[in-house]
Amino acid sequence: MDATEIPLKAPSVSTDVPTSNVEQIERALIDASTRVPVLMFYTSAIVWLLIGTLLAGFVSFKLHSPDWFSNVSFLTWGRVRPAHMNVMVYGWASMAGMGTAIWLMARLCRTVLRHPLLLVAGAGFWNFGVLLGVGGILMGDSTGYQWLEFPPYAAIVLFVAYSLIISWAVLMFRFRRGDQIYITQWYLLGAFLWFPWLYAAAQLMLFVVPVQGVMQAAVDWWFANNLLFLWFGAIGLGTAYYMIPKVIGRPVYSYHLATIGFWTYALFSSWTGMQRLVDGPFPAWMITASIAATILTIIPVATVGLNHHMTMQGYFPLMRYSPTLRFTVFGAISYTVFSALGVLISLRSVARYVNFTQASIAYSHLGLYAFFTMVIFGSMYYIVPRLVGREWRYASLIKLHFWASVYGIGLMILMLLAGGFLQGANMDNPSLAFSESTQTILPYLRGRSLSGVLLTVSHFVFAFHFGLMLFGLGRTSSVPTFLNPVETEGSEVHI
Amino acid sequence: MKGLIPLVLGIFGTFTFSWVGLTVIPNLQIGHLDPQMDEEGTDVYPAPKSGMTERGRRVYAANGCIYCHSQQVRADYAASDIDRKWGERRSAPRDYIFDRPVLIGNMRMGPDLSNMGKAAPAEEENAPPAGASPAGAPSASPAGPPAGSANQTASSAAAPSPAAKPAASLAPAGASPPPSAATAPVATPADKTKTDEYSAAWHHRHLYSPRSISIDSNMPAYRFLYEKRRIAGDRSADALQLTGSEAPPAGWEIVPTYDANCLVAYLMSLDQSHPLKEVKGVAPAASPAPAAPGAPAAAAPSPAASPAKGGQ
Repeated sequence: MDATEIPLKAPSVSTDVPTSNVEQIERALIDASTRVPVLMFYTSAIVWLLIGTLLAGFVSFKLHSPDWFSNVSFLTWGRVRPAHMNVMVYGWASMAGMGTAIWLMARLCRTVLRHPLLLVAGAGFWNFGVLLGVGGILMGDSTGYQWLEFPPYAAIVLFVAYSLIISWAVLMFRFRRGDQIYITQWYLLGAFLWFPWLYAAAQLMLFVVPVQGVMQAAVDWWFANNLLFLWFGAIGLGTAYYMIPKVIGRPVYSYHLATIGFWTYALFSSWTGMQRLVDGPFPAWMITASIAATILTIIPVATVGLNHHMTMQGYFPLMRYSPTLRFTVFGAISYTVFSALGVLISLRSVARYVNFTQASIAYSHLGLYAFFTMVIFGSMYYIVPRLVGREWRYASLIKLHFWASVYGIGLMILMLLAGGFLQGANMDNPSLAFSESTQTILPYLRGRSLSGVLLTVSHFVFAFHFGLMLFGLGRTSSVPTFLNPVETEGSEVHI
Repeated sequence: MKGLIPLVLGIFGTFTFSWVGLTVIPNLQIGHLDPQMDEEGTDVYPAPKSGMTERGRRVYAANGCIYCHSQQVRADYAASDIDRKWGERRSAPRDYIFDRPVLIGNMRMGPDLSNMGKAAPAEEENAPPAGASPAGAPSASPAGPPAGSANQTASSAAAPSPAAKPAASLAPAGASPPPSAATAPVATPADKTKTDEYSAAWHHRHLYSPRSISIDSNMPAYRFLYEKRRIAGDRSADALQLTGSEAPPAGWEIVPTYDANCLVAYLMSLDQSHPLKEVKGVAPAASPAPAAPGAPAAAAPSPAASPAKGGQ
């Protein structure tokens, strides 16, 4: 590990730092160079987040009140649902993740961002691609492959956009300073390389030289699961590996554990996916291999979890003050829960009941929201003040954002899991009519809609707060915004 | 760690391992299957579908039916799909070789549709799948039980009893085993509109107004696939038979668009009842009547020879 990189001495955007501190000026320059592209990624992501949240609420309510807007083709449930999913996956999560990844890369490569216009153009194309894709889905052009509903013309735009973005990443590595590559960079480099291969492989095998019959479903779920793990998972874990040590000012507990965690993660999590097709029309070995891989992901989960836990040991009280730490640690813990649930529902004896139920939606949300999105929120609370030169205005809004998100996602997952298990149990009992199983879950779906209200509040509060920062209405202060008043001994910590 | 090269090679290697293992090798195993034929080469299964049916598949995909309906039957030891009469045997890769996109799904907020077409009443299977004919023809087929069994879909509140005469099968009396759902106070259309369950007319009605067929359904209505128009001259043959508040005002009628007809043709083409050599059937079925090669799958096994399903 690069010992000079972590811990940081102080947050550093203000230009009036003592000139003696060359490192700080250097960091300020790097931050300044990432300012426009990263803020562009973040702003786009947050706009997509709001759109996706509204679509999600619509989907959730319509699932138990199906008669809404049944005259309007582009508001039918079966179109809005994939629109919501793709907005969240490609609009919000991917863009926010790329924004954070760009900033982290620049920091860790210790080089100013060259050619920021390349990235701005990339972000613009990416937005255009998502817009085109979501528009296509709503107009009835969905491809019918889950997680890949964007029609091919939108997929091409996304790919062009991504090429611009990745060519920047290559440049960044080309000009990096120092030989050491920090663990976060491993994950980010992995994510940046895995994503285009994944996307290209899936597009090729589904649209260019399409595979036959059920192999399309296999390719589709292979892509979906790897997108979750090798793209979002890798960015999320990399971010957590940076933010936790950075905020508490203490190096990662064990670098060897981090190495083991990375390689086992890459090896095992990439083989999961087929367990979503359990007992379907596939050779049983494919599904068994994925179940085995899912169980083996316990190894990277345990090493990463242990590493974070030991790093945090004795520093947990800091979560009382630091927004970044609070969101990031919540996300890191959710990662463990997400993986444990993944192992549980992949087992054949459990999958018999939960396959084909809402429990699989709970699983996706646990991964994409409780883990990834929360980590990214945390990183935004850290990064945005360093880009705009202002501190977050209201600690109360951050607290509201945090608790509304936590209660919202917690309620949603509980509802979908409990409802999903009951739905599956009823579905597996052939003496009950099928409609019994869908009737059973309706109360839980209403509960899920309630959680949607909480999440909507949380996202709009965050967007408002971010907007204040963007327009320069944050606090001018050299002290970061703490969630609670800091006692004197805590003040040396860099939150 | 120093050195970018080992890192990039490792990243590339793990990806390739997964890609080869989970997509390339399975593709060698099941990616190049041919239809099954008997010795004479007449009994071909599966057969490619007609153009209208394929368009129906696009409508199905575009409107996200896959997010609630699966099209795969799991084996009897793995789940109770077969007990639910969603099929007689588990689905196999060969069932899907002409499907693009393949729509096996992974969610069941609605019932499985693998054998939806098999459930159609007898004369429907010989009728053109357009749904253009006044489907629930007044004299329902004397052939008797619709091939589908009582429990085929939950949205069926009034399930046909195989023993009953066709007309009687429309009454909710001979309902499916669980009385709780079946006796739900459905606004039963049986007396006014002669609509056989799972006939084309039934599908249109169900798509237009799901809760007029099953009060418990939480399927959205697909009214945008239907057109409300003034009756010019005679009432159209394919106009929906609607009652109560659903019915259009006098002088108007609701007719399916071309997309709706395609979608119904597609739904009625879904049929995995043909035995496959690689799958052990639960019931050793009588050999189905040969289907003409290249014929729309909707017209697949003739009802006379098709095994009496769900023999209850």
